[in-house]
Amino acid sequence: MSQFRLTQTPPSLNPPSDRMVRVKINGIEVEVPNGENIIESAKRVGVDIPYFCYHPRLSRGEAANCRMCLVDVYMPRKNPDGTETLAKMPKPQTACTLPAAQGMVIETESEQVVRDRKGILEFLLINHPLDCPICDRGGECPLQNNTIFYGPPTSRYIEEKRHFPKAYPLSEYVVFDRERCIHCARCTRFADDISGDAQLAFLKRGADMEVGTFAQTAYRSKFSGNVIELCPVGALLSRTYRFKARPWDLHTQKSICSRCSNGCNVKFDYRLEQLLRVNARVNEEVNEEWTCDRGKFGHDYVSAPDRLKTPLLKRDGEFVPISWTEALDRIVEQLRQAGSNVGGIGGQRCTNEDNFVFQKLFREVLGSNHIDSRLGRYQGPVNRPLFERFGYHGMGNRIADLENMKTLFVFGSELVDEQPIIFLRVRKAWRFKGASVVNAVTRVEEETTKVADFAEVNLIYRPGTEMALLLALAHVILHEKLLPKNASTSALAQRVGDWTPARAAAETGVAAEDIVRAAHLLVNGPMAILVGRAITEHPEFEALVEVLGDLVVATGNQGNLNIPGTECNTQGAMDMGVLPDVGPGYRPIDPPGMNTHRMLEAAASGQLPVLWIVGAKLVENYHDADLARRALENCPFVIVNELRLTETARMADLVLPAASVAEKDGTYTSCERRVQRIHKAFDISPDIKPDWLIFTEVAAMLGGTPYFSPRDILRDIAATVPMYAGISFRSLGDAGIRWEYPAGDA
Amino acid sequence: MATTENGPGALEPRPAPPKEQRFSLNAIQELEEIASHYPERKAACLPALWIAQREYGGYLTPAAIQEVADRLGMSYAEVEGVATFYTMYNLRPRGRHHLEVCTCLTCAVMGAYDVVHELERALGIEVGGTTRDGEFTLSEVECLDYCGAATVVQVGDRYFTHVTADNVLNLIEELRQSEEYTPVKLADAIVKLHLPGSSQTGGGSRTGEQIRNNELY
Ligand code: SF4
Ligand code: SF4
Ligand code: FES
Ligand code: FES
Repeated sequence: MSQFRLTQTPPSLNPPSDRMVRVKINGIEVEVPNGENIIESAKRVGVDIPYFCYHPRLSRGEAANCRMCLVDVYMPRKNPDGTETLAKMPKPQTACTLPAAQGMVIETESEQVVRDRKGILEFLLINHPLDCPICDRGGECPLQNNTIFYGPPTSRYIEEKRHFPKAYPLSEYVVFDRERCIHCARCTRFADDISGDAQLAFLKRGADMEVGTFAQTAYRSKFSGNVIELCPVGALLSRTYRFKARPWDLHTQKSICSRCSNGCNVKFDYRLEQLLRVNARVNEEVNEEWTCDRGKFGHDYVSAPDRLKTPLLKRDGEFVPISWTEALDRIVEQLRQAGSNVGGIGGQRCTNEDNFVFQKLFREVLGSNHIDSRLGRYQGPVNRPLFERFGYHGMGNRIADLENMKTLFVFGSELVDEQPIIFLRVRKAWRFKGASVVNAVTRVEEETTKVADFAEVNLIYRPGTEMALLLALAHVILHEKLLPKNASTSALAQRVGDWTPARAAAETGVAAEDIVRAAHLLVNGPMAILVGRAITEHPEFEALVEVLGDLVVATGNQGNLNIPGTECNTQGAMDMGVLPDVGPGYRPIDPPGMNTHRMLEAAASGQLPVLWIVGAKLVENYHDADLARRALENCPFVIVNELRLTETARMADLVLPAASVAEKDGTYTSCERRVQRIHKAFDISPDIKPDWLIFTEVAAMLGGTPYFSPRDILRDIAATVPMYAGISFRSLGDAGIRWEYPAGDA
Repeated sequence: MATTENGPGALEPRPAPPKEQRFSLNAIQELEEIASHYPERKAACLPALWIAQREYGGYLTPAAIQEVADRLGMSYAEVEGVATFYTMYNLRPRGRHHLEVCTCLTCAVMGAYDVVHELERALGIEVGGTTRDGEFTLSEVECLDYCGAATVVQVGDRYFTHVTADNVLNLIEELRQSEEYTPVKLADAIVKLHLPGSSQTGGGSRTGEQIRNNELY
């Protein structure tokens, strides 16, 4: 169970008022919201106030401790005779905690401020090792930058500096150089305010003060990598990037994280065809400026030494490298023989462009509708159960909308692992906006970043009893008459039966009072539901979604039922029509082809002569692994597009080396339907091809029209898929575009 | 785990220490009473650490910090931050008597360093050390706010005044005879201070008469 509970912080991050006030900064008059932080006001007029500890997304609780942002402040004062004079505050103030007020006058370059800043920097550098030549931060370090522009040219300190071991391994990914720490409390506040695991704190005091974890245990957070970027000096460093490059030697390319469906905006920093680090890009709508550790450190596969670099053909049970010409000839030969009796599985981790060409090859060139990107248990009609009822697939809300909910119901999801950035929004809603969270899970892990730490009610139920829990919640809502009279509760009322909390308690193992408490929270709208893997992989998935649907209808929260996808382009693969029953843009296909499961069954019984698997780890992850194995064994010709020789690839007859996210251009569509651009950073080998190119080459050899670039494909997508109308590489910009269902379609 | 050039060894993070529950029923009641004075439980952190210092035998082990954090719903790191900030919380075992000699201005003028040196010599330890038998720990502290009776030595919840290099050995003897375990006694006295009905701590102060007569206890 949760061990600690941080408190909710009053909303200190936003300007507290809509009222505008006039302030004057270095002689420039400007209107700003009353109470706005002066650092932000100064940014509006292009005045630069240096700072270290201030951070717009972190609370000010422990902060204002670097003193770098000192400014002179004058306030208007009424004299007894009614006139007004400007009175100077006797001492400089920290701009980062100074709320703008009517008539305030700020001077950032007065003689005193300039001298004070020098003094502050001299103090900060007293114990700083100044080992910039071997510091990863060198060249992009706020301490270096502020010292150049505001610091003293020399130091008077000749005594011994304090010393600590240089690289204390703080977490699996982060090493800590305590000598370089300037005690800004950004990392400790991050742990409290954002990730919520609260594992970093200041220990000791005065000159001995240091950042640390409890009893020198490892810092275990699912978001630990962010502190590396937050730290204004080189105290917190990446274990994987340390000593690998100087920042000015890196090339940078904008991209989208490929490790989950949330679609964090990232930068790939690389050098000599090696991806060296992944940093976040700001996208207020998506990841703000965070990434999870999986995204930040989980792209090592891109430059892994075991990347496939040539096509491999299995001869007598052994793989032999072959040329692309030979590989394509083989494929074409097999496809010609098979006719339309071929199956295609995968695409959730490919771009929209890859997927579009994938399905086009199957449908238009080969004449087969046996194509499916889904690997989960539910493989029924894609428009059920959500679209038919509510008019959308996947998520009804934007990720950013979640922070404005009063209640968030996380159901059957290890949210932090399944949807890390959605987790951060949910936490933000709780921490800064006063939302309550109801968390229904089968178990709570010890000592990790998790929803249970801040959920108002944790319903820990026995696996398989989801339905009973849900009906009991509905029972309370209906029988205690928690909803207004005009609520549309009829659908729900038909279902609840006699699922009283007491009966459900016996069934689910959740205390009846907790069910009642949760039900009382759920009616406090706006309320959004986030559904996780325990539900999507549930045998009764459709029935559960029906009831959840009734629940959002009854509580007046239509559109707030969210079933986010799992992979970086789960959504896009569906939009592109890599599904047996619908084509691009969810256009119905008649007759529908076989879904993944049926294709595997057909292959297992030797009835599918060719199976093409695109970046799907079937043997590893498919819920019926045995079936997957038999299918691969009994299918005469299995083609696998992969980055590395996975277990699935090992069972193939032909393995094609595919390009990773860093080696191709294109777009992904995140779980909230945001189409976002990935940019090609580098080529690892000339013999690695992006999936779309492989498909288009095969299509061309079989008489289809080829595409020449992802731009070309996207143009075609925009013309064919109504929701993507108007989307182009240019229009996507940096923030991407969240597509809407065309009006009247829903 | 990613590898570093440091390899495994002293620098690797440590495993989580085992948890314990050493708060007695009485201690839990005291804690609940104190916590009820504040709108938030975490406000009771300082007294809770004093309770822990008493219950865990005079110093705060990692388990003590965990127990406090768990009982107040705080994070372990935060409680450790508090415990390491204040110098009166002991993070290591202290001697049965912790001699805190004031060497601030007035006491220094009145010969506090002679007292310190005499103690170092007699106990065979340096400032900051603890005798092998675990009887005494010697520290230098700043002004104990009893300058009129310099030199002042604090031992647990008691002040000894007018201490000189000549009479300090008597003090040592007296303490050796006593049965008390002063760090625990001090912790207990401070806990009591937070409970209703008690208004002062300490083993009592001397009358002006006693002080003039240079009387120890
Ligand atoms: S480690 Fe970095 S972020 Fe953390 S307090 Fe020190 S300087 Fe600030
Ligand atoms: S939350 Fe998802 S998209 Fe963001 S960094 Fe993590 S894995 Fe990548
Ligand atoms: S930025 Fe204002 S005190 Fe640090
Ligand atoms: S100087 Fe020793 S008590 Fe004040």
